[in-house]
Amino acid sequence: MTFIPEDRTLDVLVGSKQGAMLGRTPTSRATGPHRASLGTAFIGIGAALVCAIRAIYGFSTFVGQWSMYPNPVPALLAWIVLIVVLVATFITARLVGDHLPNWVFALVLASLAAVVVLDVYAVWELHDIGRTASAALTAVMSLLLVLTLRRPSELLIAAGAAGAGLAIAMVINTTPTEPHIAPQLTALAFAVLPVVIGVALVRGFRRMIQIELDRVLIQSTVSAPRFAVGMLASEELARLDLAAEDLLDSVASGNTPLPLRPKTASVAASLATELRLHLIEGRRETWLYHAVSESEMLGRSVSLDDKGGLAGLLDANQRDGLLAAIWLLVSDTAKPNGSRTVQVVLGPIVPRVGQPFGRLLPVPITISTTSVARNRVDPSTWDALRRVGRYSDSTQNASLRVDIECFVDNPAEL
Amino acid sequence: MDQIVKERDRLLQRTARVYGLSFTIVSFLCLLIPGAVPVTTLAITTPLFALLAVAQFRVGLSRELLWSIIIVGSGIAIVLVLVESAEGPLTQSAYSSITQLSGASIAATAITLTTTTPRVIALIVSFVSTAAVALITTAGDFSAIRTAALLILGWVLPTIIGVWITASVPQAARRIASIGRAHRAERQASELEAQRRQGARLLHDTVLATLTLLAHSGVGVQASALQEQAAEDAKLLRQLRLGATPTPQSSGQYNLEPVEETALGTTLESVKQRFGRMGLEVSWHGTGQVLLPSDVLDAFLLALAECLENVRRHSGVREAHVTITDDETTVRAMITDAGVGFTLDDVDSARLGFKESVVGRLKEVGGHARLFSAPGSGTTVVLEVPR
Repeated sequence: MTFIPEDRTLDVLVGSKQGAMLGRTPTSRATGPHRASLGTAFIGIGAALVCAIRAIYGFSTFVGQWSMYPNPVPALLAWIVLIVVLVATFITARLVGDHLPNWVFALVLASLAAVVVLDVYAVWELHDIGRTASAALTAVMSLLLVLTLRRPSELLIAAGAAGAGLAIAMVINTTPTEPHIAPQLTALAFAVLPVVIGVALVRGFRRMIQIELDRVLIQSTVSAPRFAVGMLASEELARLDLAAEDLLDSVASGNTPLPLRPKTASVAASLATELRLHLIEGRRETWLYHAVSESEMLGRSVSLDDKGGLAGLLDANQRDGLLAAIWLLVSDTAKPNGSRTVQVVLGPIVPRVGQPFGRLLPVPITISTTSVARNRVDPSTWDALRRVGRYSDSTQNASLRVDIECFVDNPAEL
Repeated sequence: MDQIVKERDRLLQRTARVYGLSFTIVSFLCLLIPGAVPVTTLAITTPLFALLAVAQFRVGLSRELLWSIIIVGSGIAIVLVLVESAEGPLTQSAYSSITQLSGASIAATAITLTTTTPRVIALIVSFVSTAAVALITTAGDFSAIRTAALLILGWVLPTIIGVWITASVPQAARRIASIGRAHRAERQASELEAQRRQGARLLHDTVLATLTLLAHSGVGVQASALQEQAAEDAKLLRQLRLGATPTPQSSGQYNLEPVEETALGTTLESVKQRFGRMGLEVSWHGTGQVLLPSDVLDAFLLALAECLENVRRHSGVREAHVTITDDETTVRAMITDAGVGFTLDDVDSARLGFKESVVGRLKEVGGHARLFSAPGSGTTVVLEVPR
């Protein structure tokens, strides 16, 4: 957990214990396996469409060179197998949902390998695999059919192995001179690269979904009360209560003999400490703290300093603007793991001499960043900031700094 | 929705980048084959390839249409140089390079050109110009039908990718939004749940006290009494887990009836019993029949129990006196013991006991606490809450 709020000791303690005891990071809520599959089924259909078009193209070259084959039967056989595999894989992929079972994947790979072997065998005598192979090249690209159902590494290994196999066949079969090398290279590229590109695309798509999901989930903090316990803490509290119940139960029933063994005693001690901390902690964290600590994206690069819990005073529109601005500053980066950091400081409220606070209380908010160039900031960031309050931006250490004067309802006047 | 559209554009751009760059490299490799093109041709095309690669890299970062135009322009320029500078008929390698360029490397930019009308127009113009140049320049030496088929395939595939990703985004966004709504409900529910658990803080305090005893292996307390207390606490935690809200009420212990106002006296009995089991004799004095709102009562009892726990642990005596008095506005409890006492300065303020449990709790309901002690002359705590 890189996010370290102001009350360091308490939160670090609780945070690390949470992580250690649950065997997960506090942000794992947003990374459930089902989340990543959103919309990928649709991408799978798109990949199948691409395969189908490629197959039609490949099949027409096959038909076009029918008369060239010394013996067209193996090539025809390769095409029949390939079409059967394509159709069967497509149907299976629609039925199995998210993950293709290992044995089905093995079967698909074996069939595709058979297609490659048959097709290469059919054109062997022509000594120009690159220009004459048809089903074999389509077969390698057909890995796209299971693009969303298997791990990227498996697909890359499979495509790489097929490419290597084809390359070896080409080296043995074709004379490595000028007119022959380029078509072999082209054929290999058209067979293997689509799989690589597809893997990159699906990875990017999943990331996009993940980011959007992260954003939408923390958006719910905007409507939270001024101080909230937060999702993680309240889950944790329930878990601690349950652990305490178990321990007390076993003491009561005599399953755990008294006096306790040191190990059990130390479990009781840590439960008591954690419960005590939780009962104090929950009541002083604001929606912004929860948003930052629950978000994978923000948690990585945003630090928050809000000693007075002033963020809780912001109304829903201001909160929405502030969250959107922080989000845009962090997310709007070309590199997924950029070195951007954003520090948000709220308060302190400084009384102006001779001017008692009226109904509205000015809360100064400072957003300082690192590695955020002023001219690379998304324009909608400024709109979001405007919703928080009057702001002025400047550059500090070659990175953007924004000072906002935000007016909130004075809690003393309500 | 706006955000995910930005992410979508980024995804399309990055895909176009990896697509375009990989085929640019293959296309360039074809020209490096010995005998593919004259050295001068290679010298002229290399900077053009560099320009193409830079533009393709930039497409991954920027939405500017300019980079797509540079890609198409430099790509077509390479094709023209290859054809014009050829000595005799076009070599197979040069032809392969041209098909890689026009059918894949340049075509990759189509991925980013499907989202808006101006971009679609740019896509059509790019396709027509690239295909026309490639077809016309290679038709003399190579089969035009084959080239045309390859070009169409090469441009249809990235266009499909672009269209498909664009179409998938609203679907995904809708589903994510519904997950978001469910999450908001879940957050509110869990917030309520946490408040309920925190609201039952009296309960937690007995749990905490018992856990603290267990942390010291239960030394100093009768085993049977501790077991009894543990059973009671476990039962209460179970009730809490099953959704009930235990509130201290009548004699014995807790029951599940939530009440607005609770008589103090009867509840004190349960505190007394609890400490009795742990070896501290508590004597009550003064009034016992005070009605208090339940949240004030909770805080009051919690603070009181915390003070008694401190007496039990630190005073060295086995007896404490609690005097309850009340007037029009205030209910007051005075907890005295004749124990070892302490210097007020010695109390470690960071220790969670007194400050958090007593002062903090009373403050929440508008009350306060005062502490009097000196070494050797016992300790007196005065707790006050408003009625």
